[in-house]
Amino acid sequence: MLNLSKTLRCLTVATAMVASVAIADPYEEYAGTTLIVNFPAHPHYDAVRKILPEFTRETGIEVEVDQLPYLKMRERQTLELGQDEGDYDLIAYVVFSKADYVYADQLENLARYFMNPKLSDPSYDADDLIDGYVYNIGFAGGTKGYLEGKTGSLFGIPYGSETSILGYRKDIFEKHGLEVPENYDQLLDIACKIPELEPGMGGLSSRAASGHHASHAFLLHLAPLGGRVFDDSWNPIVNNEAGVQAANALKTIVDCGPEGSASFGFGEALGSFLAGDTAMFLDTTVVAGQIDDPAKSKVVGKVGWAMHPMGTRRGSQTGGFGIGIPKNAENKDAAFLLMQWLTSKKGDKLVALAGGNPSRFSTHEDAEVNARFPHMATFGEALKHADPDWRPIIPVWGKINADLGTTLSKVLTEDLDIQEALDGVAERTKAVMEEAGYYTWSN
Amino acid sequence: MVLALLYPLGYMVYGSFRDWDPSQSLSESTFVGLKNYITLWNDPNFHESTLVTLKFALSVVTVEMLIGVGLALLLDRKLRGMSVLRTLFILPMMIAPVVVGLIWRYMYHPTLGVFNRGIKGVGLEPVDWLGQHALLSVIIADIWQWTPFIFILSLAALQSLPRSALEAARIDGATGWQQIIHIKLPLMMPVLIVTCLLRLIDAFKVLEVILVMTEGGPGLSTEIMALRISRTATEFRELGVAAAMSNYLLIMLLILTVLMLVYNRYMEYRASRAMRVAQEN
Repeated sequence: MLNLSKTLRCLTVATAMVASVAIADPYEEYAGTTLIVNFPAHPHYDAVRKILPEFTRETGIEVEVDQLPYLKMRERQTLELGQDEGDYDLIAYVVFSKADYVYADQLENLARYFMNPKLSDPSYDADDLIDGYVYNIGFAGGTKGYLEGKTGSLFGIPYGSETSILGYRKDIFEKHGLEVPENYDQLLDIACKIPELEPGMGGLSSRAASGHHASHAFLLHLAPLGGRVFDDSWNPIVNNEAGVQAANALKTIVDCGPEGSASFGFGEALGSFLAGDTAMFLDTTVVAGQIDDPAKSKVVGKVGWAMHPMGTRRGSQTGGFGIGIPKNAENKDAAFLLMQWLTSKKGDKLVALAGGNPSRFSTHEDAEVNARFPHMATFGEALKHADPDWRPIIPVWGKINADLGTTLSKVLTEDLDIQEALDGVAERTKAVMEEAGYYTWSN
Repeated sequence: MVLALLYPLGYMVYGSFRDWDPSQSLSESTFVGLKNYITLWNDPNFHESTLVTLKFALSVVTVEMLIGVGLALLLDRKLRGMSVLRTLFILPMMIAPVVVGLIWRYMYHPTLGVFNRGIKGVGLEPVDWLGQHALLSVIIADIWQWTPFIFILSLAALQSLPRSALEAARIDGATGWQQIIHIKLPLMMPVLIVTCLLRLIDAFKVLEVILVMTEGGPGLSTEIMALRISRTATEFRELGVAAAMSNYLLIMLLILTVLMLVYNRYMEYRASRAMRVAQEN
């Protein structure tokens, strides 16, 4: 009896050991696999490259990175995803690509991976991922087709999340006793006061160049001022009171901005702030690294960070990248393991410490991360208000966006009447939507 | 060879009759007949783009021809260091267009750019180069890059002119100007026409420099057709419309080519007729 009990105990221990070995190494089956991933040339993905050796060391899975400039990356993906067998196991994509790729059935639905107990890590804690980004970059098929909703499903995970944040020159604000703007009235007031107080300095440097730059800058103000591009029935409402207010805000900012700001793209707007030619910068959080880099910036240590000012509501932008598995990938399971590792609490913290943009609430609150990057807590707070619907993610948006951006550029440079300009955009947008079938169910 | 030449062209023409998204293969797309052509015909943005293209191409080619041929006439002589000078002249055309765009974009920068710093240095108001004068700015950049092309071909043409005709003119007492107007330019004309045609074709298709410098803005003021085609294909994801636009551009270039060749033939005919009359007399 004693012997039987001893044997049973030994068997139990042995079984437990075998089981624990199996549980402890979910990567074993995939060790030696080489994954080919396609990432953009972007500060976040430069940081990702620094942590990939840690993934390989831990899992035995090799990763080859094909890093391309963003536009080239999209071109390459368009070609690759259309093939029967693609080269990429994992891709990074911008939010607009989500609509195109999901609609063309080129991205894997992630449900079957998260349902697979051999692949899905129970400690992953998906609730810690920033909500707005999951819906903005990962979700498709919900409300409006691209938002959270009961009919939606997950096709990607945010990785390299960015939102809009206000950077301001602490020294200039202190010198003139200025309060950091909390709402749009204060923002516009200070933006135009700065050139009077500091001759030669612009108030706020903004993107404004024709096309997607001007459109981006306008939409940045539209959401907090209470506007939207479409109502719930896809009717364009970009020309309503909030739209006009947003365009006026953009025009005021450009008029009170640094010299030549009507032709600024993102690079020039940031360059102007880095060179100390402007007192404020309202754009993506990804710039923080450059602002603190003495090789690139003349304003190191002089910049404070604040939330995107409120209009009628909080509504900062959602941008950045997500990662997804192409339908034609060769090593889908291993790619999921990499995706899961990168976006896990551990991976997110590692990439944040390497200079990337974390996508989890916990990383933004992490003491070690905040000790290294003191702005991270403010960024985390801003991310809570990131608006996944600040711009529509529909297949025809590229055309509407281009029209909006070129028309706004005319407002900024040719003094085209704002109401008239936005009425024109709304009319043309209606025609585009009509042709794309968005009014099929009307009446 | 004919197949290799015509297949891509046929593919483009075929694609222009279809509603074609980049995520589809051409065979998966839907046939829409002439819809893409009609849409473009009624599209004010396309009209503006066409107008910008014409303005840009005609301006740059005219100025480049004048400066390029003028320089060639000026430097068609034995000077010390001429070979170094020629190499220096052709440097701009050796630079990648994207780099040319970036260089000029920074030179035109409102505060850091060399032009505005110079203008401010002499106490004048800075110029909004890429804002209010965007088209002029890209025209200047193109002239800088491509005038050497005209110069080199013109110089080659000049140096291959029959020396006997020039000698005879000199003996007859023709002045320098008379030699240029009555001998050099008429004899150079076939080369100049081909050179002009090559530059026109290229100017109609220029993309990278403008893309980097202005991205077509402000508004659509520098959005030439090549840029609109690129945006239609990549941003709007309408490959069928982009193909139709390319065909419109092709037709425009074909008309220009035919007109210039007809003009060349006419000039040759006139010259041979004049020669025949002279011989008969």
